[in-house]
Amino acid sequence: MKFPKLSNLPKLKLKAASLDARKARSGYLFVLPFLIGILAIYLPILLDSVWFSFNDLKYSADGISLVPVGFEYYQLAFKTETFTTALLNSLQTLLFQVPAILIFSLFIAVILNQKMLGRAMFRAIFFVPVIISTGLMDTISMMDVSQDMVDSSMEGVMSGTGQEGSSSAGDLFSAMDVAVLLNYLPIGASMVEFVVQLVNSVFDIVNYSGVQMLIFLAGLQSISPSIYEACQIEGATAWETFWKVTFPMISPMILVNAFYTIIDSFTRDTSEVMQFISGYVATGGASMRTAMSWIYFLIVFLIIAVVGGILSSFIFYQRRD
Amino acid sequence: MESTPIITKETKNRLVVDYEGKLSFKERLLRKLKTSNTWIKVLINIFRFIFMLGVSYVIIYPFISKIANSFMTVGDIVDTTVIFIPKNFTTEIYRYIFTENHYLEAFFNTVLLSLMCAIIQTFIAAIVGYGIAKFKFKGNKIVSAFVIITMVIPHSALELALIQHFTNFDIFQVISWNYPSILELITGGPLKLQGTFWPMAILSFCGLGFKNGLYIYMMRQFFKGVPDELEESAYVDGSGVFRTFFQIILPLSVPMMITIFLFAFSWQWTDGFYTEIFFMNQDTVRLMPDVYQNIPKSLATDFSGTTLYNSVIRNTAGLMIIAPLLVVYLFCQKYLVQGIERSGLVG
Repeated sequence: MKFPKLSNLPKLKLKAASLDARKARSGYLFVLPFLIGILAIYLPILLDSVWFSFNDLKYSADGISLVPVGFEYYQLAFKTETFTTALLNSLQTLLFQVPAILIFSLFIAVILNQKMLGRAMFRAIFFVPVIISTGLMDTISMMDVSQDMVDSSMEGVMSGTGQEGSSSAGDLFSAMDVAVLLNYLPIGASMVEFVVQLVNSVFDIVNYSGVQMLIFLAGLQSISPSIYEACQIEGATAWETFWKVTFPMISPMILVNAFYTIIDSFTRDTSEVMQFISGYVATGGASMRTAMSWIYFLIVFLIIAVVGGILSSFIFYQRRD
Repeated sequence: MESTPIITKETKNRLVVDYEGKLSFKERLLRKLKTSNTWIKVLINIFRFIFMLGVSYVIIYPFISKIANSFMTVGDIVDTTVIFIPKNFTTEIYRYIFTENHYLEAFFNTVLLSLMCAIIQTFIAAIVGYGIAKFKFKGNKIVSAFVIITMVIPHSALELALIQHFTNFDIFQVISWNYPSILELITGGPLKLQGTFWPMAILSFCGLGFKNGLYIYMMRQFFKGVPDELEESAYVDGSGVFRTFFQIILPLSVPMMITIFLFAFSWQWTDGFYTEIFFMNQDTVRLMPDVYQNIPKSLATDFSGTTLYNSVIRNTAGLMIIAPLLVVYLFCQKYLVQGIERSGLVG
């Protein structure tokens, strides 16, 4: 048996390293546009924005001038009760909505992955919300709601059920219908309210889970059919197959989707805090808005870190090689 | 009793197995119906179909109701007895939005802007995604982290700074408010980019546009799924890094790129944040999100149902904004699912 000469080894190593270095250099070229963007545009904007939140903005003829105030606006933000309640409410909705969206979108993705009557049609319909998910329609219905509030505060509570019935055209059922339906059942008013809320958020959940469905579907498609074949041969039921094969294989997607859902539901324009921030005009104005945005961002970041930490310990990664 | 299957040798390499023996079709059908499994399957199928139909209804219902409302007159909208089918059919809402809200102008401007952004963003996402996925350069992790950061930071936090930067655009000026920089010395002052397409073009080109972090991330995941052997064999054959990318990898990723193009196009189309920041003056450049913000003067009413009517008008405008997108979607949705299917977005 012949061993390679020792003198050959460093040479080989050197060659490999230089190839890697060459490749690495072209790597820089590929990410160059993004790198320039980060260094020349994004970071300056980011720093500016942070800096604004520590300053008082004064608009004058030649642009804006800044007066440093330190942490004043951050303290003020936490003292503003409307802001903190909006934050808490957002967290509450998140707690309810994220698991609901995840479960729903996984469920639908599993169904859309099966062979069934009209699958192509259902796929086309289910991904419509993806296309319009930036919430133009939401913004419009928000405008309606605020207009309604202005009107009703001016004119008092208008009579006329017609107005109530169809002004919430975006809602699946008007709250009235559900309330009327449930009034015949012997349950309390708070229960009725809860069901109405649930029904209306079902609409939200369906409309906000388009992208997640798409990602889950992609994940499902990437599971090798031979595993399912093996399951069938071993005599596993569909239920067992789902929990022992599909679920672990899809678990990385659950993490991705959890991140996406949290980010999406926090930064969407219709979320309560975002609305509060963009509508804020009282003391501090623009600086205060920026400060509140940063507080919000830090909270979102914290939540993502916690959720990521918890979820990633449950995730099963298939070794690909 | 089951008869043993009859196996005959048809040709040299082919066996034919006749499982059913002499059973007729009717007999086979009857036997199948007798097992409970079949019935459960049929029940599940029916239940599943109805469930999907129900959820589809939830998705489609708002559109149907909005379309129905859009053809109504004020009287019909206030009238509670009118549901879905208008008594006095009219297209006046559409007509006035067309003429008084400058729909066509907004449409063409938005087509231009969205096409430009979508093309640049798709291409840049592909390049950057490829760079992050396949090259182990120093700082790769940092770049990836920044991709995530651009996704996570809410854009309202950056609103003011964005406006500041692009009204007086100066790429060499790192902190924007106090000292003159190189560009200012050359051009004699910062560039005024407010009200032009340039801010969006620059942001797209740097992969910082609307939701671009997500596109880069998707591209990265896609390229991670492409086996390294493909490129290695290309390198061995003497093709350079860029040639390999453009001639081998890029054609491979067309389905994914169509998906991202569709996302970029439609999200840019309905985006109100960046358009509001960069096109503050609606009269210079009219864009789609401006269409729903004003109520056409000819449609203004003094009836008690004004609020309701205005909301119907706004919703109709919204429908008109979305309609071209839906047409595009109908043609591209096949690719959307396909691209995602092939992406193998597994982390």
